[in-house]
Amino acid sequence: MPDALLIGPYRPDDVLAWEPDGPRTARQFLSDVAQLAESLPDRPTVLNLATSRYEFLVGFAAAILRCQLTLLPQSRAPQTLRRIAGDYPDSYGLADRDETIEGIESVSIQLRGGQAPWPGEIPRVPLNQVVAVAFTSGSTGQPMPNMKTWGALTAVAHATGSRLGIKGGDRATVVATVPHQHMFGLEASVMLPIMHGLVMHAGRPLFPADIRSVLADLTGQRILVTTPLHLRACVTEGVRFPPVALILSATAPLSHSLAKEAERHFHTEVHEIFGFAEAGSVAERRTIDGDRWRPLDGVRVVQDQTSWMVHAEYLPAPVPVPDRITVDAQGMFVIHGREADQVNVAGHRVSLGELNQKLLEIDGVQDGVFFMPEEGADLVTRLMAFVVAPGKTSEEIQRALRTHIDPVFMPRPLICLSSLPRNATGKLSRESVSELARQWLEGQGHGA
Amino acid sequence: MSELSLLEQDIAKLIVETLKLKVDPATIQPVAALFGDGLGLDSIDALELALAISQSYGYQLRSNDPEINAIFSSLRTLTKAIEKNRTK
Repeated sequence: MPDALLIGPYRPDDVLAWEPDGPRTARQFLSDVAQLAESLPDRPTVLNLATSRYEFLVGFAAAILRCQLTLLPQSRAPQTLRRIAGDYPDSYGLADRDETIEGIESVSIQLRGGQAPWPGEIPRVPLNQVVAVAFTSGSTGQPMPNMKTWGALTAVAHATGSRLGIKGGDRATVVATVPHQHMFGLEASVMLPIMHGLVMHAGRPLFPADIRSVLADLTGQRILVTTPLHLRACVTEGVRFPPVALILSATAPLSHSLAKEAERHFHTEVHEIFGFAEAGSVAERRTIDGDRWRPLDGVRVVQDQTSWMVHAEYLPAPVPVPDRITVDAQGMFVIHGREADQVNVAGHRVSLGELNQKLLEIDGVQDGVFFMPEEGADLVTRLMAFVVAPGKTSEEIQRALRTHIDPVFMPRPLICLSSLPRNATGKLSRESVSELARQWLEGQGHGA
Repeated sequence: MSELSLLEQDIAKLIVETLKLKVDPATIQPVAALFGDGLGLDSIDALELALAISQSYGYQLRSNDPEINAIFSSLRTLTKAIEKNRTK
């Protein structure tokens, strides 16, 4: 059975991660993993919700050694966790020290630290071992599982590293603003550093001032793994950042102008990754060089009868691309937009049809529709919703909706109307909803 | 309903405008939770709000500030933190 090492080229006392209280060497990491692996419950699946990227990684690696599957929920919303735990009833949760996960039996990660002997051999993991499940919103509203093998995760890490010119021994530190439970976060902020012998920063700086202070505290090269949202916040805030060697952005398209500003601000190159939970990272581009995406080595985008498919040796079957794309003779592609029904809010993809269904299931709602306005000057463009629900207030509907959908998709605002502009056949065209939104926004003077 | 101070009124307005909430700023309870059950704000809102506060008041919030959860817990605590740290 072909296999691959659990971590890349580290010497025993190389720093593998930075925790708030100091460095963790490769030696300490392997000892932390071995100790935790011994104490994990004998269950097939684990919801790893550790806040610290290092503790998450120790939990992930320990679960792999115990042949347990790590479940990566798309959000920490209690209803999402309960739904996933319902689908995997033998799961337990890995939580931060002194925390519990509501409704799920959980174990808190307690690392003993201290000096540890270097094991004779670094553990090896079979390439075909399924190690993680990334969830996406399915068309029925149930989270859809996407199985990730060790082979897929390591192949993407190596292909991304070679594309970006990352060499083992660079000893750069990877700082990420994205959650490690997100597919891009797992690939770029966990797998990429540990497969290349880099240093993984355990924190997750959110505000521009945090990002700056984390970067400023580091010595050596810095790599920032982030999103257009955080980049826009950093650029808008106008504070000075220490130079970084590379910025890697994903989860939503980055505009050419923001990429240019970010390159100037951070004295660096801004590269983007295109990917989605079903396939993982697929292609890369330096945003200011143009709109063409270059597939990672080993990835091909091939047309079948109805859609474009991602092919890679590590994918058990080809995966359809959720966006409308055109592919040139060299295999590079341009993205023209999402398939009609798909929207993306702050890196979370969902079908509008599914959200509309959730809305209509709410008691008292007679008709309703979600709408994605054109992107404006805000950091994130939020969904709107128009609802017909006589006798209900928009607050009541919001409250009911909140228990059924991921918080990021909550409509801002939700507007109650006496009817929706359906045509004679009962259809609601995108144009008429768009006109409704335009009228409403104008009436509000774009304010509250 | 408790009375809002002048600065609380301004910040309530900033929250509602920045986050496009469909509520009257005057009806925000000064001690009610902003995140979770209260106004139901999330971490993207926190980022947008932090940016707006930095631009309007020159106060740069830090998520690794041990007090951050307390600061963001209600309109009143947020206003107090801005009052103490504002540079404009």
